Amino acid sequence: MIEVQGLTKSYGSVAAVRDLSFSVAPGEVLGLVGPNGAGKTTTLRSLAGIVRPAGGTIRVGGHDMERDPVAAKRVLAFMPDEPHLFDYLTVEEHLRFTARLYQVADVERRLPALLQELELSEKAKALPGELSRGMKQKLVIGCGLLHDPSALLFDEPLTGLDPAGIRRMKQTIRERARQGAAVVLSSHLLHLVEEICTRVLILHRGRKVALGTIEEMLTERPDLRGRSLEDIFLTLTGT
Amino acid sequence: MIGAALYLVGRSLLNATRRRVARLRQPKYLIGLVVGGLYFYWFFFRPRRGAGLGAIASPGGEIVAVGLVGALVLLKWLFGSAETPFTFSLAETQYLFTAPLTRRQVIDFKLVRSQLPLFISAVLSALVFSSGQVTGLRVFRVVGLWLVYSTLQLHYAGASLVWASLTQHGVTGLRRRLGALLGLASLSALVWWSLRRALPGIVAAFQDGSTQGYAALTSVMHSGALAVLLWPLEALVAPLLATSPALFASRLPAALLVLAVHYVWVVRSTLAFEEAAVEHAAKVARRIEAARQARWGERTLRARQATGLIRLRLAATGAPAGAILWKNAVGATRDLSQRALVLVVVLVIGGAMAFANGPLRALDLVAVMLLALGAVALVLGPVAARCDLRQDLEMLDVLKGYPVHGREMVGGEVAAPVMLIGLVVWSCLLGAFAATAARPGPELPPLGDRLALLLAALPATAAVLLVLVLVQNAAVLLFPAWIGVGRDRAVGLEATGQRILMTAGSMIALIVALVPAVLAGGITGVAAHAAGLSTVWALPLGSLVGSGVVGFEGALAVHFLGGVFDRIDPAAAGTG
Repeated sequence: MIEVQGLTKSYGSVAAVRDLSFSVAPGEVLGLVGPNGAGKTTTLRSLAGIVRPAGGTIRVGGHDMERDPVAAKRVLAFMPDEPHLFDYLTVEEHLRFTARLYQVADVERRLPALLQELELSEKAKALPGELSRGMKQKLVIGCGLLHDPSALLFDEPLTGLDPAGIRRMKQTIRERARQGAAVVLSSHLLHLVEEICTRVLILHRGRKVALGTIEEMLTERPDLRGRSLEDIFLTLTGT
Repeated sequence: MIGAALYLVGRSLLNATRRRVARLRQPKYLIGLVVGGLYFYWFFFRPRRGAGLGAIASPGGEIVAVGLVGALVLLKWLFGSAETPFTFSLAETQYLFTAPLTRRQVIDFKLVRSQLPLFISAVLSALVFSSGQVTGLRVFRVVGLWLVYSTLQLHYAGASLVWASLTQHGVTGLRRRLGALLGLASLSALVWWSLRRALPGIVAAFQDGSTQGYAALTSVMHSGALAVLLWPLEALVAPLLATSPALFASRLPAALLVLAVHYVWVVRSTLAFEEAAVEHAAKVARRIEAARQARWGERTLRARQATGLIRLRLAATGAPAGAILWKNAVGATRDLSQRALVLVVVLVIGGAMAFANGPLRALDLVAVMLLALGAVALVLGPVAARCDLRQDLEMLDVLKGYPVHGREMVGGEVAAPVMLIGLVVWSCLLGAFAATAARPGPELPPLGDRLALLLAALPATAAVLLVLVLVQNAAVLLFPAWIGVGRDRAVGLEATGQRILMTAGSMIALIVALVPAVLAGGITGVAAHAAGLSTVWALPLGSLVGSGVVGFEGALAVHFLGGVFDRIDPAAAGTG
């Protein structure tokens, strides 16, 4: 579903991501971890088609992000860590606007159920300024899921959510993966990654340090057996 | 405490200067600094007529200065609020109010911190009013102004403390204003009582000449109860009016005494203002945020509602550009108040009826006002209405994530202001035509000619509007760092220079874009005229062809800018 080959991206003289390759199959949840400045967000933004890589290829749902970005983005949803909303569109209007961009023809039928699922029915006519951070986050997720994407990218998905919201978010990610979506999840919360990701990609200074299940990593580094993902992460990244 | 404040002021100034100097390595800031510097030199130091601040030392100067300062004081007592005696920033409230400091220390800190802005205000005031000529005496005037500003700041703080204290004791609203009005009435009575007997003499003196008149008035001000009443004001402004350094030095102690009394008044207050200050700091921060987003202040933010003038439902399918256009149009009209629109209509019609005179009928004036309104909307609208890429580029991450081609994105973004401003301009044109449609008379061209002019103006205004909006959007896409997208807008001399250069660039682009259209339209018009069409009816034809050329240019520009949008990197655009 998501295939990355030799992804490279630099900002001036600083190499943010160097020759990164990985793939995420349908139903798989890949955890993207690394210290600050490791290149996680740049990787996610490249996958989402927001930044243009200096080198390498990205294919989403079989569509090349460089050659046919519109088709690639149509099957993709990117949920950033900060909920960016248009401060002059209401909750309902955000969903309608997104539906038009992604050509979701049955939005009218789906809106009430979606608003209820997001617990935003009472806030349907509210502008973002009247919403809490958690509500904004829910709206961004609602917009992202509206077109039933087959590839999902989450950047720190639990930021700003209350305990109930955190539980629902984990359920959503698992549910979408169960339905066949390929999920990439970037987070500093290693217990979250350990809990819901099927594989982990550890980045350090823009390079891939490790990729696989925790078991596979331990096979490569038997000295780390019995340790948590946090210990593995700190050892491999030398932080 | 004073040491800490001085440290903060000094380090902030030093670091800000260092950052400004360091960024001069980038040509855009260096060129901006040069252009901005030239502009400021022209503004402050160009030779001007008039005596400027020097006139303040004239016979009427003291009266004007005392009157101005007195009016400012009275206005504060009449209309001032109990909001907060000092305006603290959010950072100041966080650090100062939680630190182990007495209230007096906090006030001292704030006073010391505010001296630099007050001093800069005094310098700028002196420069603006003195034709940029810096002499020894004008340096004293800066000090004099600084004293006045500092004392007024303390007086305002003291007044706010009094208001806040009254509020805490349950004296609010009308009752509080009533007290101020009673005080003002008493003062007025005292002034009137003092002037009553001297008034005929003052009037007679003014008849002899203004110098004699001012001298008589000054003499009354310096005698009796009025002298006691006005002494603090006179003492405060006296150094500012000094005509020699010796006079300045002799007047300084009295002014400093007034300042000191104010200081004691404020620091001896036991009123707790911290909570109000924190609330005010948050409010100011929100206002700054709103201003940075090019919105018109806190009131607009509050007024923004989930309903707007445009209530069209967006179809779930169709061209994505339609969604962008819809989004921006909905957003733009949400900032418009329906009450404001009604007010404009009432003003146009009411004003026309009030000024209608003789052959100029009310409907003629309505037409003139509508034409003026349309012209203003056409020229200033594309600059003021930022419901396009200028606003949305801040959300570049989000926009680039959508499955939409760049050309569709740019097309939708540009269409919103063109449509909205075009609606206003065309409404004004049609309204002006309708207002005079049934108007016979030699003052106006015949109805048929007026119709031809209207038909020529409709496509022409749309074409000009399209170019103006496209230029603004092209500038923000091609030179995002120069335009300043979203909240992080550069300030200072360099930024002023950059804006001047961008405005000049936009004007050149506008001319270049209009030249082919004017040529094509002109040739068509001349050909039509040669073929037998009257001059006035050749105009709509020429305008239509010229506008068609602009439309074609616009389509090419949108296609080109769409490619730029597809390639733009949020980090390079300063939005990532």
